[in-house]
Amino acid sequence: MSVILEAKDLTVRFPMPRKSLFAERQHLEAVRSISFQLEKGRTLGIVGESGSGKTTAAMASIRLTGPATGAVEFEGEDLFTLDDEAMRKRRADIQLIFQDPYSSLNPRDRVSHIVQEPLDLLEIGDEASRKARVEELFKLVGLRPDQLNLFPHQFSGGQRQRISIARALATNPKLIVCDEPVSALDVAIQAQILNLLAKLQEELGLSYLFISHDLGVIRQVCDDIAVMYLGRIVEQASRDELFTNPRHPYTQALLAAAPSLARRKSSGAKRPQQLKGDPPSPINPPPGCAFAERCPLAEAVCKQMPPPLENGVACHVANR
Amino acid sequence: MALLEINDLKVEFGTRYGPVTALDGVSLEVEAGETLGVVGESGCGKSITALSVMGLIPSPPGKIAGGSIKLGGEELIGLPDKRLRQLRGSDMAMIFQEPMTSLNPVFTAGDQIAEAIMLHQDVGKAEAFNRAVELLDRVGIPEARRRASDYPHQLSGGMRQRVMIAMAVSCQPKVLIADEPTTALDVTVQAQIFDLLNDIQRDFGTAIIMITHDMGAIAEMADRVAVMYAGKVIEQGVADDILDNPKHPYAQGLIACIPALGKGDAGRPPPLAEIPGVVPPLHLLGEGCAFADRCAHKYDACAKAPVLGGDTAHPVACHASAEARI
Repeated sequence: MSVILEAKDLTVRFPMPRKSLFAERQHLEAVRSISFQLEKGRTLGIVGESGSGKTTAAMASIRLTGPATGAVEFEGEDLFTLDDEAMRKRRADIQLIFQDPYSSLNPRDRVSHIVQEPLDLLEIGDEASRKARVEELFKLVGLRPDQLNLFPHQFSGGQRQRISIARALATNPKLIVCDEPVSALDVAIQAQILNLLAKLQEELGLSYLFISHDLGVIRQVCDDIAVMYLGRIVEQASRDELFTNPRHPYTQALLAAAPSLARRKSSGAKRPQQLKGDPPSPINPPPGCAFAERCPLAEAVCKQMPPPLENGVACHVANR
Repeated sequence: MALLEINDLKVEFGTRYGPVTALDGVSLEVEAGETLGVVGESGCGKSITALSVMGLIPSPPGKIAGGSIKLGGEELIGLPDKRLRQLRGSDMAMIFQEPMTSLNPVFTAGDQIAEAIMLHQDVGKAEAFNRAVELLDRVGIPEARRRASDYPHQLSGGMRQRVMIAMAVSCQPKVLIADEPTTALDVTVQAQIFDLLNDIQRDFGTAIIMITHDMGAIAEMADRVAVMYAGKVIEQGVADDILDNPKHPYAQGLIACIPALGKGDAGRPPPLAEIPGVVPPLHLLGEGCAFADRCAHKYDACAKAPVLGGDTAHPVACHASAEARI
């Protein structure tokens, strides 16, 4: 299998405002030297809580966010060294689906034009072929041709997400970055969209970089999974491995915290493990393992030395 | 008699399509110390039910067109504003979905909780603030005294929701309505909030109405469940009955479409069960069953709206289920 997207030592640092004129400028490291590989035709899931850096990591890996260091190779080509025009052309192969289908579509534009716009911008085909492509895309994502000339507000949330998907597919991309594509939707609609994404992947051979905080969704769509906590990948494994044998205490806690139909109030079921508190601030992160404060297994070494990612897990205790 | 009884509640909204019935004959009841889960998709009337109980339906355009809501035997509909204000906060309280927009950004967390206490109880400012600190400690905010002087923007999402909960339980209400209390929160924080709500219920005997679209949350929180669709209750019963043996095709779909977290089989999971289509706009509802167009079991009888009936412990509004066609 060939690798379509590979991030090496990717780091994103945002400068913070100075506290005073002479104070040293502080930096917020949203993503701290992470590496991952996405194989062609597969789905890599990035899971974590808000503030864990999962969106920043994905956006940096397709060169959509600020001062990133490290390297990202898309089909063997380093994206960070491309000039702007070459990168713009390359964007035809990389598309995005956003979380909020309400704010990611222009409310004043007809949906046919929204879907056609990527083709216009990248000058693919002539006017007639673009129109035909839009109709074809509408059919592909399960919308009707008579809806082509409506405005976004005339659609429900699930239908809008279908429009976003059609727009992402317009240029025949190889990679689609899905940033929480179903978390704004009702569960019934969520199932429709997840099934649509799976169907499209099979038919078109797409690769997905899939960001979500919902482990159920991640298990449904992802082949490989990276769990992020405070800017670092703390565990990386295939789906089967991660869900049958989670090794990092944070992954275990995430799994334990997810609501489950099996844990009934009537039977007095209790969560096996509970996390207290919130993640620490990414400005001035703790010197050791970022999870140590909340970790049930934490030892003295965890608070002093950050654990390296070995055998797919970054934990002093699990790697012993 | 139950603590809170909603009987045949009808709520209408004036829209440009004419009056639209948002709630059509909803009947629910909650006993002290139990949790009623109300589940359904957006637009099915869950939140309108909650707002009706609190007397918070904006009028106009909204209007309670019929039915009754009784709290401890007292009819709430048509009550003067003054009495409603006394009840809100002290006898019934509500937690909203988005803690950031429901807290006042220019007052500290402690002041906002103290305000609620001073409104309903005869205590001074200092005493109220002290109680607010105790409450913040009770809902699990570390260093409660220092945190009480923080403004909402200085708190994390989970802490803001805890402040909302502290405010809601400050006068030990009999009924607590939680409208999607964890939708905006991360899973680990959601788990903490669920445990907190269950603790509070155990300590104070509060009746909780938990509004959600997530069947997983229902399983963990609810004793009894009402499934709503297009302004009606379509199935009702004990939580275990609904989760293990849903009768309405919509309830079955809601449970089947959840991506499972269980260990299950290796390899890629099979496609999820789908409920096709979307909730129909309320002004387009016809005579028949509102779910018929999305239903795999639709047949001639569905042209007439089904009524909630059958087994009194687990009633369902579905022709196909009543005639054992499912």
